[in-house]
Amino acid sequence: MTESAPAVAAPVPQAVAAPKLKVRDLHFYYHGFHALKGIAMDIPEKQVTAIIGPSGCGKSTLLRVFNRIYAIYPKLEAKGSIELDGENILDPHYSLNRLRSKVGMVFQKPVPFPMTIFENVAYGIRHHERLSRADMEIRVEQALRSAALWDEVKDKLKQSALGLSGGQQQRLCIARGIALKPEVLLLDEPTSALDPIATGRIEQLVEELKSEYTIVIVTHNMQQAARVSDQTAFMYMGELIEFDSTEKIFTKPSRKQTEDYITGRFG
Amino acid sequence: MSGSSKEHIIKSYDDELARLTGEIVRMGELAATQLEAAIDVVERRDERAAQRVVANDDAIDQLEQEISHDVVRLLALRAPMAGDLRNVFAALRIAADIERIGDYAANVAKRSIPLSMVAPITPTSGLAYLAELAAAEVREVLAAYGERDADRAYEVWQNDAELDDAYTGYFRQLLTYMMEDPRNITPCTHLLFMAKNIERIGDHATNIAENIWFQVHGEPLNAQRSKRDFTSSPELPHLGDKGKA
Repeated sequence: MTESAPAVAAPVPQAVAAPKLKVRDLHFYYHGFHALKGIAMDIPEKQVTAIIGPSGCGKSTLLRVFNRIYAIYPKLEAKGSIELDGENILDPHYSLNRLRSKVGMVFQKPVPFPMTIFENVAYGIRHHERLSRADMEIRVEQALRSAALWDEVKDKLKQSALGLSGGQQQRLCIARGIALKPEVLLLDEPTSALDPIATGRIEQLVEELKSEYTIVIVTHNMQQAARVSDQTAFMYMGELIEFDSTEKIFTKPSRKQTEDYITGRFG
Repeated sequence: MSGSSKEHIIKSYDDELARLTGEIVRMGELAATQLEAAIDVVERRDERAAQRVVANDDAIDQLEQEISHDVVRLLALRAPMAGDLRNVFAALRIAADIERIGDYAANVAKRSIPLSMVAPITPTSGLAYLAELAAAEVREVLAAYGERDADRAYEVWQNDAELDDAYTGYFRQLLTYMMEDPRNITPCTHLLFMAKNIERIGDHATNIAENIWFQVHGEPLNAQRSKRDFTSSPELPHLGDKGKA
């Protein structure tokens, strides 16, 4: 005679850092299309949070709402709240200038400005602060060093940024983002146009940057999400299906939809 | 959740995972058959057949190598995740357990050769009962593996206590025979080793059950099983002291 099988142990709650961003009941509409449906999540401070999901699931939209980049387009509307250190950034009184200095963004395709490497980094700083020439040089060097680019460009700061390789251009964009000393760094598929070596450098950089910044990365590359992030969110058709530690998501997801997606059974 | 019933978008991935499962089941079948063949040669005292059983262990080792190769290839080329990852990981561990089961079956056949060179003794027949229990355990746990049935695996895990009990009883029986007549010591010592081999086969079947549980639930089997092999315990009655107290 056998006893009944033991119940599967309940997952142990993971200790996570205090939330930097608190998303509550977030809805987003593009010309009436309901793109985000009631998203609620806490993005922990100084950790890397990955957002995965099939094309059109709303992951890039969510990232863009985090720095209100949609505000430049008409007929786009966000409802709900996103608190950054307790203040709702969706509130129209929260100035875009202030938000952009706190929340930096790097896009899929590196877009260096058609100016020198030095000016690419200094440009954004000038927009927000007045610094002496010496201070500016220190600040640009710090940003380029943080983006692991300094050693490669220190002798050609006056050359055009357009002459850099794709991977270098992307690191320059990250340098440009962190030159403003943001608190949150948003990365939208930052390596999808890069070769594996350049991708490895960016991933290493993400690991180094997380001691200073809260990082949110949108990626189509599941292995990348598994490699670089502490938490992973899986989105589908505008909804947040599952949000948990990356280890849990990739070894034992709770939801069948998540399992189907990460094991390549979707569609 | 041990994975999804849906097929992968890339069909060949499904084929590779199915091939892995098939290899494990085939390997397990071979190991169970080897155990039955080993007991058969013990009973028939057939030295040549015993040597064939020992030689057949190579086929199990070969299958284990194929499984290891397939697992490494799947990990490298498919980067399995979640339920798929647990399937592949469990397959590697289960293959190692089956390989050990095959080794133990071959050991039983190997010892039957010196055993057949001395006069037959009565307790030899008791070994067949142990082997029957162990082979049934192996076949049952393989069926649970094929069906990804964690509850069925758990039942096997529980029922191994029966084999432990039978082994403890057999151990005592052999001790009695050895005490009765020192000429029994050599054959009984061989039988004791063979019985221990068969008892260990049961332990490997429970390891397989634990891996099936992990594969299906993603959690280790956190339950206490009553270990009933008392032969290494100081509490085992000292048969020689009988009547002295």
